Amino acid sequence: MGRYVIRRLIQMVPLLLGISLLIFLLIQAAPGGPEAVFLERSTFVDPAAIESFRRRLGLDQPLHIQYLRWLGAVLTGDFGVSYSSGRPVLEMVLERVPATLELMGLSFVLAALIALPLGIYSAYRPYSFTDMSATTLSFLGMAMPVFWFGLLLQLIFAVQLGWLPTSGRVTVGDASLHDRILHLILPALVLSIRQIAGWSRYMRASLLDVIGADFIRTARAKGLSERVVVLGHAVKNAMIPVVSIMALDLAGLFSGAVITETIFAWPGIGRLFVQAMFSRDYPVLMCVLMIGSVMIVVCNLLADVIYGWLDPRIAY
Amino acid sequence: MKARNWYTTLGALMMTIVLVACGAGAPSAPAAQPTAAPAAEPTTAPADVATAPAAEGGARKLLRIGYGGEIDTLNPLTSQFLIDIHLTMIEGLIVSNDKNEYIPVLAKEIPTVENGGVVELGGGRSEMTWHLQEGVKWHDGVDFTGEDVCYTWSFIIAEGSEVYNRDSYLPISACEVVDPLTVKMTWEEPYAAYNGLFEAILPKHIMEGQDPKTGDFNRNPVGTGPFVFAEWQSGEYIRVTRNPNYWRGPQYPAIDEVVFTFIPDANTRVNALKAGEQDWGQIQPNQVREFENLAGYKPILVSQNSWVHFDFSVKTERGQKLFGDRRVRQAIFHAIDREAIANDLMEGTVTVADTVIAPSSPYFNPDVPKYDYNLELAGQLLDEAGWVDSDGDGIRDKDGEKLSFTIMNRADRADRTTIAQFIQAQLKDVGVEVLFDTQESAAWTGTWRTGAWEAVVGGWILPADPSFTGLFACDGANNMTGLCSEELDALMKESDTKFSQAERKPLLDEAQALLAEEAFSLPLYYNVTPVVVSERLGNFKPSGTNLGSFWNVYEWTLE
Repeated sequence: MGRYVIRRLIQMVPLLLGISLLIFLLIQAAPGGPEAVFLERSTFVDPAAIESFRRRLGLDQPLHIQYLRWLGAVLTGDFGVSYSSGRPVLEMVLERVPATLELMGLSFVLAALIALPLGIYSAYRPYSFTDMSATTLSFLGMAMPVFWFGLLLQLIFAVQLGWLPTSGRVTVGDASLHDRILHLILPALVLSIRQIAGWSRYMRASLLDVIGADFIRTARAKGLSERVVVLGHAVKNAMIPVVSIMALDLAGLFSGAVITETIFAWPGIGRLFVQAMFSRDYPVLMCVLMIGSVMIVVCNLLADVIYGWLDPRIAY
Repeated sequence: MKARNWYTTLGALMMTIVLVACGAGAPSAPAAQPTAAPAAEPTTAPADVATAPAAEGGARKLLRIGYGGEIDTLNPLTSQFLIDIHLTMIEGLIVSNDKNEYIPVLAKEIPTVENGGVVELGGGRSEMTWHLQEGVKWHDGVDFTGEDVCYTWSFIIAEGSEVYNRDSYLPISACEVVDPLTVKMTWEEPYAAYNGLFEAILPKHIMEGQDPKTGDFNRNPVGTGPFVFAEWQSGEYIRVTRNPNYWRGPQYPAIDEVVFTFIPDANTRVNALKAGEQDWGQIQPNQVREFENLAGYKPILVSQNSWVHFDFSVKTERGQKLFGDRRVRQAIFHAIDREAIANDLMEGTVTVADTVIAPSSPYFNPDVPKYDYNLELAGQLLDEAGWVDSDGDGIRDKDGEKLSFTIMNRADRADRTTIAQFIQAQLKDVGVEVLFDTQESAAWTGTWRTGAWEAVVGGWILPADPSFTGLFACDGANNMTGLCSEELDALMKESDTKFSQAERKPLLDEAQALLAEEAFSLPLYYNVTPVVVSERLGNFKPSGTNLGSFWNVYEWTLE
């Protein structure tokens, strides 16, 4: 197992290099360049100012030189400075990590705590009233546009009822835990709804499959209680596909949630990414995307390791 | 028994996944920590100092501004955003007010030929003397002097300063500090818009020895303004507190603290206002109605020095073929019902524009040729130009080419796309086909700069100074249409060299008329930016110039 993990870790190096080259080219391929921010002013701009901006950032260099420069700097731990704010990129990204983890982590745990039992129950009592309602709500959850749902919740809970704040992470001047939790509720709810909808469907489908299997019949024939049969034997086996889905969603923890964070003015990485995208802030984009890529690769490995634990037949 | 534990195991598993994921990021984290920690310090450190007095005095007056997208830096000279937040902390020699005039701030008066501040030396050279306000101190207690003014000038003209209008400062060949409160500048050539320069002055003693691109000033500025920088929480808000030593006197400012919260989504801003979380917020024109009956708030329509326009480009071969003939351009302009755009699409919140200078400006020319909605005239002009529908498909053609063009739309400007759709429908009536090509903002700007497009709906903002040379001169840095008229060039360039309004006005009047006749860019309407403000806020005098609406924030009151 240890050797397997080490081998996988070594394989990550060329993989991530390839990914970095690919996203670098993709970002560059998008029309328009960082100098576009100058023109956001909608007023006269001295062309010489744009020219020296491009020169300072090395944007006048050929692409391969730009990539190698970026790669060389990153290998020494330097992600460069943001084109628009002039601040070190890593600092800009890291200061967003707590807010991102807070929101994504909470919605992840919330979704897991609701989705898995819901899926299990739906599979155990298929076509029951609970299953039917869960199915309907899941489809609703998946189909509902995030921005619309977010605004709707704001209208109900903040504008009409006045129970919760519309947006932001804190009320300025109030640093209490209570205030922070109030701010978390709506965005976390919006984010977890979709995951609950998705995961509970996977859980249900996978468990239905397993419950029909021969070894479950055998377990029942042995006289084991229903509880042990379902929770002990069936669920553990049914978890395998669910874990891989959840692991991939887990990778998203560090990328933030683009739409939800924008709607709720949440200071996470997703919003930083959107901002950087509109201003073509290449170093910030590269940093956020690379972190996201590393997380996906790592979480994939994690999922494989968990497989082995869930199903001893899978050996590496 | 195993089964009973399963659920707890599951919970533990979840927690492990989260924890392992956090741990997985660890290898890079320690390396990052050292850089992050010290850099974050300067931004948060002064905050604690500033928060300290918050506890005393129960009725602390806090103004909550629901701002849009987050700004880039707090240096007003290098920021690419509207510098209204900046100007609450940092002041300039001048600012533009609600009447579209430049008024002195750190200067006692704006030098003119009439008041003796500008002395012409002959050969186009002149000398300009600025007298500065007495008793002005930077937020750190250091005296503000002419040294700071001249430093700011050298900051701007430095090679690679990337100040967006650096070229406007280049005619100044020398800046001399005569005495601490008098500055003399030598101009090598006359520049009519001089009174709009130096909208911000930087502190020499702080800026020296700092890299302007990455320095601490960008996140922790020191100015002379009514408010002192307190903190900037990335992605959340910027907080400024009352300057107790403000030079206009102890009665100013009348508000203790202002918080600018960044709320990028316009609908969320509306909800935040309705929930009473903000006292001030920018909204969209189509959201004005929702606030007409909201207790405690009032919507205000701020007319801008900006206008929305419909442009042709003749920079491509196809553009030349379609729009090279002035009659075609004029015909299409006549076929667009701008009254309907202003009254129906924009719900009557805006007024139709015929020229690029706003009516509030003294340089506004009301007598330019106007493109009233006239389908008959439009058809006649197109017939004359040889564009007729010869194959009966409803679209005019000439030499086998259809009179069909593409409007390039910006994805983030739904309002402009709606206008483009409106134009599309209207031009159908005169046998002109309009297609769309939608691009995301940076892509749009990139293509737009090359001139390789056929038509766009765009928007421009002018400062309180009315010069539009950069937009329409043959070599104008922001002229992307291919418009090039020697006569117009001569008029605009001459007007830029006149220091006095009496000499400048007739030239600009004629230039405006000529510009309308050329028919490359049809002004559609003057923009308004609706702002919703709490009725508690007093003395708010919004201004639609490029220096924003916080120009008199020192005298704002909050009940």
